[in-house]
Amino acid sequence: MQPFELSLTAAADAIRARQLSPVELVDSVLDRTEKVEPHLQAYVSVTAERARREAREAADAAAAGRLRSPLHGIPMGLKDLIDVAGAPTSASSRVRADHRAEADSTVAARLSAAGAVLLGKTHTHEFAYGLTTPQTNNAWNRDRIAGGSSGGSAVAVAAGAATFGLGTDTGGSTRVPAALNGVVGLKPTYGLVPRTGVTSLSWSLDHVGPITRTVEDAALVLSVLAGHDPRDPASLVAPRADYRPGAGADLAGLRVGVPRNYYFDHVDAEVEAAVRHAIDQLQALGAQLVEVEIPMTRYIQATQWGLMVPEATAYHEQTLRTVPELYQTDVRILLEAGQLMPAGDYLHAQRSRTLMRQAWDRLLDEVDVIAAPTVPATAVAADEEVITWPDGTVESASDAYVRLSAPANITGVPSLSVPVGLDAAGLPVGMQLLGRPLGESVLLRVGHAYEQTQPARELAPVA
Amino acid sequence: MSADELTPSEAARWAVRAGLPLPADRHDAVAATANHIHSVVAVLRELDFGDTPPAFAYRA
Repeated sequence: MQPFELSLTAAADAIRARQLSPVELVDSVLDRTEKVEPHLQAYVSVTAERARREAREAADAAAAGRLRSPLHGIPMGLKDLIDVAGAPTSASSRVRADHRAEADSTVAARLSAAGAVLLGKTHTHEFAYGLTTPQTNNAWNRDRIAGGSSGGSAVAVAAGAATFGLGTDTGGSTRVPAALNGVVGLKPTYGLVPRTGVTSLSWSLDHVGPITRTVEDAALVLSVLAGHDPRDPASLVAPRADYRPGAGADLAGLRVGVPRNYYFDHVDAEVEAAVRHAIDQLQALGAQLVEVEIPMTRYIQATQWGLMVPEATAYHEQTLRTVPELYQTDVRILLEAGQLMPAGDYLHAQRSRTLMRQAWDRLLDEVDVIAAPTVPATAVAADEEVITWPDGTVESASDAYVRLSAPANITGVPSLSVPVGLDAAGLPVGMQLLGRPLGESVLLRVGHAYEQTQPARELAPVA
Repeated sequence: MSADELTPSEAARWAVRAGLPLPADRHDAVAATANHIHSVVAVLRELDFGDTPPAFAYRA
């Protein structure tokens, strides 16, 4: 096995045991990146020289017995909405052509302090306002979409071009590309991971989270990212925690909610079959399956749009007036139209969110986690803008990909996407586990238990 | 066209009121997108909010 193929957990164990040096690991991942990047375009920029320098420093520290954390010497890609001091944060947009970040974002600073090595900045759908990331190709089939908006990070991790990555998630943007590329994506509880220094799409819906090969890897990254930051007004004052799941896979006593509505409606048959099979695995591990009713489903899309559309327009207010022609067509029109939403509609969405949170609190009294598909379909072709369901309903691909992710953004509850197999075309399927606020440890324990029932996943077979 | 939809010229006027003058070649597309967004979000008007406050603060 080559170092670039190692999970974060395996690489960290090998570094700690002095079987692998950070220099070997980073060189291997950079070589892999050079090989696959022409097919994938996951990165806005790869900073190889910087990565090799950081790797040498990490190796020297490791040789002296000074490991900063399990991420010590581990190479990562950061979505290019995340500030790194001295580097541009392009947001994959011409609007940011001359940008240079003055300081590290809180998450970049925490990762750096933990010893992680920055490989480069990964592509996003422009300013995170979309679900495809058109610059980047799916790691499993380059004619399919990467998913978005954190498409670059998910593709890089899936292809071995980063050992882990960070994404942001406003309506599914970490979990959707994770699901479509067969990797793990975590949207933590709203406010658990600080957003200081991360370009916003929609303040009240934005989250930052890890994209990794395994659930255990996601736990290691979350342990570094989580914690209060007074500069993010949404940051929660929650105690720092070690999220690494224990070794046991016994789920006895755990109540897993299986939605009877919404999450399995207008879902591809192969996706449904793979997710239900995975849920059966949870039952085989001792979990009790409980049928649950998802509340207020008629108002999910309306609430998501009512919050996101005006907040995004507000964020871009200045540049929409000075350089509108620099935005891509799809993003510009949404920003412009968002200017026409009345404040009353925005307040309806905020009040609807209050009602939805209350209803989800009651729902999560009944069960410990909810298991559902992450997205209703695997990755569509790059030119496939709509999905036609068997009953004749036509849905835009973007709406379909957001549909099952949005409830966790609106309510703030944590959600973990775990790969649960491939469809007949060889494209990955993701299962979503949703839990109570600050219930990340439970989600990670369940996801890790499921992974232990499965053979180790391989990297995407990039030519 | 239903009564609550904006015409392209109305969309242009609303945009000006919001401080975003639009070039004439944007009016049709912005009106169409704004009308679509409105059709999605207007469903929230069905809800009986009573004394429900907005969810500006989050308590985990």
